[in-house]
This record gives sequence, C-alpha cells and structure tokens, in this order.
Amino acid sequence: MVAQKKRNGRSIQEINKKIKSGDVQVVTAEEMKKLVESSGVEVAYKEVDVVTTGTFGAMCSSGAIINTGHSDPPIKMQRAWINDVEVSHPGAAVDLYIGASQMSETKPFEYGGGHVIEDLIAGKEVELRATSYGTDCYPRTKLDTTLTKDDLNQFYLLNFRNCYQHYVCATNSRDEIIYTYMGKLLPRFRNATYSGAGALNPLMNDPDYETIGIGTRIFLGGAQGYIIGEGTQHDPSNGFGTLMVRGDAKKMSTEFIRGGAFTKYGTSMYVGIGVPIPLLNLGLAKKTALRDEEILTDIVDYGVPRRARPKLDKVSYATLKSGTVTINDRTVKVSSLSSLKTAKKIAATFKSWIENGTFFLSAPAETLPTNTVCNAMKQTGELTFVGSVAHEAVTCGVDEDINAVAKRIISRSVNHVVVTDKNGEVKGIVTSWDVTRAVAEGKTRLADIITKKVFTTRLDVTLEEASRKMAQHHISALPVVDQSKKVVGLITSEDIAKLRGR
Amino acid sequence: MKRLDRLLLRFSEENVAEPITSQVILELGIPMRIVTATINSLGGDILIEVPKVHVDKVVKAFKKRNVVVKFPKLIEVDYDKCFDCGACYALCPVDAISFKEDGSVVFDEKTCIGSPCGLCVDACPARAIKLVEQHRSNQK
Repeated sequence: MVAQKKRNGRSIQEINKKIKSGDVQVVTAEEMKKLVESSGVEVAYKEVDVVTTGTFGAMCSSGAIINTGHSDPPIKMQRAWINDVEVSHPGAAVDLYIGASQMSETKPFEYGGGHVIEDLIAGKEVELRATSYGTDCYPRTKLDTTLTKDDLNQFYLLNFRNCYQHYVCATNSRDEIIYTYMGKLLPRFRNATYSGAGALNPLMNDPDYETIGIGTRIFLGGAQGYIIGEGTQHDPSNGFGTLMVRGDAKKMSTEFIRGGAFTKYGTSMYVGIGVPIPLLNLGLAKKTALRDEEILTDIVDYGVPRRARPKLDKVSYATLKSGTVTINDRTVKVSSLSSLKTAKKIAATFKSWIENGTFFLSAPAETLPTNTVCNAMKQTGELTFVGSVAHEAVTCGVDEDINAVAKRIISRSVNHVVVTDKNGEVKGIVTSWDVTRAVAEGKTRLADIITKKVFTTRLDVTLEEASRKMAQHHISALPVVDQSKKVVGLITSEDIAKLRGR
Repeated sequence: MKRLDRLLLRFSEENVAEPITSQVILELGIPMRIVTATINSLGGDILIEVPKVHVDKVVKAFKKRNVVVKFPKLIEVDYDKCFDCGACYALCPVDAISFKEDGSVVFDEKTCIGSPCGLCVDACPARAIKLVEQHRSNQK
C-alpha cells in the first residue's frame, strides 16, 4: 500500500471507517478553497477528510469495450458497425471496441462512437451490422441485429486518455474561420476557447499524485469507476498529466456521458470524472486550496498548423472563467468547451455519495509517474515546407501602368505579379492571363484587372497544405507573407509540380 | 431605455421595389431600428425594432401595404440537449448568450439576430441550437 498512515496524518482506512459511521467530513474543491480562505489551511485540514473534484469535457481518447455474446451459427466478426459507426474488433470473435471519435459513415461529423455509447447508456436500441470471411468454427459471414445495453455481456468504458490536468487556450491568427478540436476559431484573434475545470480539476488538486494511481476508485460517468494507470501522452513534467480509466457503463448516466460533434473536425465524447482527494496530510490540504488565479496556461495560435504552435501569452483560469482574455492588447471573448456547471455537479454529487456511505476510498496499488514527458513522433519521411520552395515574388504598385506590368511579366518570365502597397503588404495579384484579357477587352487601368481577394500562405506551412489551398480555390499561385502580411515570396503550382517530378 | 419589440417584415416580389419602410416611418413619425435585412429583387426580410407602445400602429401600417408582419422566433435552443459547455458564448456578436449564476448557458432570444449570423449553430458540440427557418413562399 502506497498511502500509509503518516505521522500526524490520516489514513484511508480511518477515513473509510468514518464514511461507514457517517462521521466523514467532505467538501468539494470549490468549498475547500473558500474554507481555507476564511479559516486557514490548518483548520481546514483538521475539519475535512476528503475533497471531491470534477471535470466534464470532450475526451476524444475514450471508448467502450463490449461483448455481444455469440450468434447461432456463430460469427468471427471481421468488420462491424453500430448505427453505421465502424467499431473495431481488437480481440476474438465478438468483442468490439467502440471508439468515441470514430464517425458514422452516413452522418459523419454529426454522429459517432461517443453518440453510440450515449445511446446505449440511455437504454436505446442500436443496430449492429457485421461481416466476416467465415471459418470452420465460425461459419457465419453476415450479421444484422439490434441490441440494447441489457443484451451485452460486458459494456465497460475503457478510456486511454482522460482528464488532462489543464489545457491551453486556443485562438486563430488566420484570415479565415478555422474549425479545430478546440472548437470554432474566428479570424484575426476575434475569439478564443479553452477547456478544463481549472481549480476543480482532479489532477490539479493532487499534482504530485500522492493519492492517485492504479486502483483509485473514482466517479466516472455517474457511476463508480477506477483509474487503471496514467493516460497516454501523460506529461506531468509540464503539468499535462492524464488518466486511463475504466468503469461499468451499464450503470452510468447520460447526464455525465454525452456524444459531441465538432464541425469539420469530428466526433468525440464528453466524459464526467471526479477523483476523491483524501487529506492524508497537511501538504495535501494546501494543494487542494489551489485557486484558479494560480493556474496559468498558454494562449496558443491554432492558425499555425504545426506541432509547435506559437504561444502568444499566458493566462490564468480565473481570467478564462471571467469570459474575456486580452490578445494583442485587445479584449476578446473566450468560450469554455467543457462544462463548468456539470463539473460542479460532479463534485457535489460525489460529495453526497461519500457522505451517504455509498462510496468508499481505495488506496492506489501504485501511484502515477510524476516525471515522464510526452515525446514527439519519430518521423522517417521528410516533409517539405513552403519556405524551401518559394522564390522571390515579382511585384508592382497599385497605380502602375498595365504596359509596365506586361513588360515585367516578359522580362522576368513569370505568370504572377503580386500587387503591393508602399509597406510591401499584399493588395492583389495580376496574372499574365489578366493582362491578356485586358488587351482583348481594351482595359487600360491596372486597378480594373487586379484580383483583390488574394489567398496567401506562410513560410512554415507544409507544401501539402499549400497545394490543397490552391486546389480548393482553383488558383495557381499563393503569395507568401510574414506575420505582418508583408510579401516575402511566391509559390506556384508549377514549383510544386517541378518538385514532385524530381 | 425604451422597451423595443421586434418585428419581421416580409416583402414579396410584388412590393419589394416600393419604398415601404420609409413611407411608414414618414407617415407615423416613429423611429425604427433596422437590425438585419436580407433582401433582393425577389423579396426578403427586414428585422426591425420599434418602441413597444407603437407596435400596433406599425403593424397596421405595414399590413395595409401588403407586407407580411411577424413576431419572429429566430433561434431555437434545445435545453435538454445542451450540456452547458458554453462553446457558443464567445462567438455571439450581439452578446445574446450568457451564463447564469449556476453556470447554465442562457440565450436571450430578444437580442439574437438569427439567420444573418448563425455563428454559434455549427459550434455547438451538442447540436442544441437551430436557426428557425423563416418560410418564404415568395422566394426560391
């Protein structure tokens, strides 16, 4: 047992005795902070045995393992779908894993594995379809049936990364709306989003994982569940700890497990988790007094589609929860993607379970690692970026004569001339085709033939993304601009074709 | 502040060319605020706000000129689906979305401008927000 009784401390066994006798003192993490503010940490520690936490957010790396029982004649499922969502068959004949972010083939981006799990928990009937190659022992090749959770032998949530300790605040520098796993981000930093319950978050209240580990009994989706280890990408060294959890989904409630749909990104599942923090020592009492003001996170530019996205500033969860943040000296509204209301409800419901003697604490068999990091992927293929292909842009001013521009097209043998203002910022683009048409139509003013809506790219964008942008808008070149929109080069479809042909 | 009521004026292909809104303003001498206008030669909608005390007069004046007048419901929120994340909150340009004391997300349907905006609709992970289709029999 890791959580031994400490000198002048409490043990989990003692707390469980108090739960049984009804004498246990439980507060939510929010109440704990208030208590410490009003009475001091020593008094709070003396009075309180357990602090309950809670969070309710989109946790994509979630899913459920189900066992459907055998059909007659039996089938060894090779491919299977529930409500048109493909489910995987990681094991033997009839064990299926419903991945939360797997999308429906008929309603992609709107319905997915998370919704299947929600529907099953709600008691709804779902449609299972399966195909197979047939074996001597499992001859069946096709299956079509309907199921409810009562028809399943096992229906367990098995989430491999949940409950991020904290997360970043996302915003977008681009000139267009982007749809991300951090939600819808308006152009030019016009909004921001964040996720997480801040000071109510389970891992935040025991950041050294003194009481959290394999075997810790928790609140999961409205039922009792367990931590079964650290989650994937667990990165405690940088304050991004995660949990791997398991719980009996048949006992869960759709109040705390919900499917989620992120436009142009995909589907996910909202998971409600609460972890009890037993106040075994004074240090833990101090840690559970942590306030939103003290939890800082980065404001990150999701407009740059790279692994290392630019960090613009730091912000506290207190500021995030206020509804506005300051980005580049401008105040913008910030949305939470996770539900603080439900997080509070989880902490409060959990508190009542312990007070009513229906939930007992468990000491972890092994606590979570505190010193690991999340490394980047080892990549063998090399990616090419716009910066390594772009060349100098031929430019002209807005007021120049069409003839002068035509001459430049010939002398520099290019097809695209970028129109810039005196600061070097893009104002438009003129192609050799535009000039030809001007001659044919008798136009003489450059301003009449300029394409003013110009799509641009940046040096650190991958070539793949730049060509996707050109294809999407049916254009053959993109001016390359820097942060201040100044032209630093040009990339054409010809450049990309040359590279591919190499 | 004066209490304002919202009216949705529906123009048809037949009357859209007439300066009806101006005529009504001149005739009644009542100020109106145009909130949104979605209109072309085939007709369309203008959403206006008028002082509550004058609503009856304004409705009568527009109806006299064959303009269909409605008290619009622009947005529908399914509060059973909504799980109060607030992903919609920062997208609203007119501050129609706010949080109650207990963290519940609430929509002020009187402030929301409806279909010309709709920024929140596809940002809702619970798919709880719907723009109310304003049926236009006179348009494609």
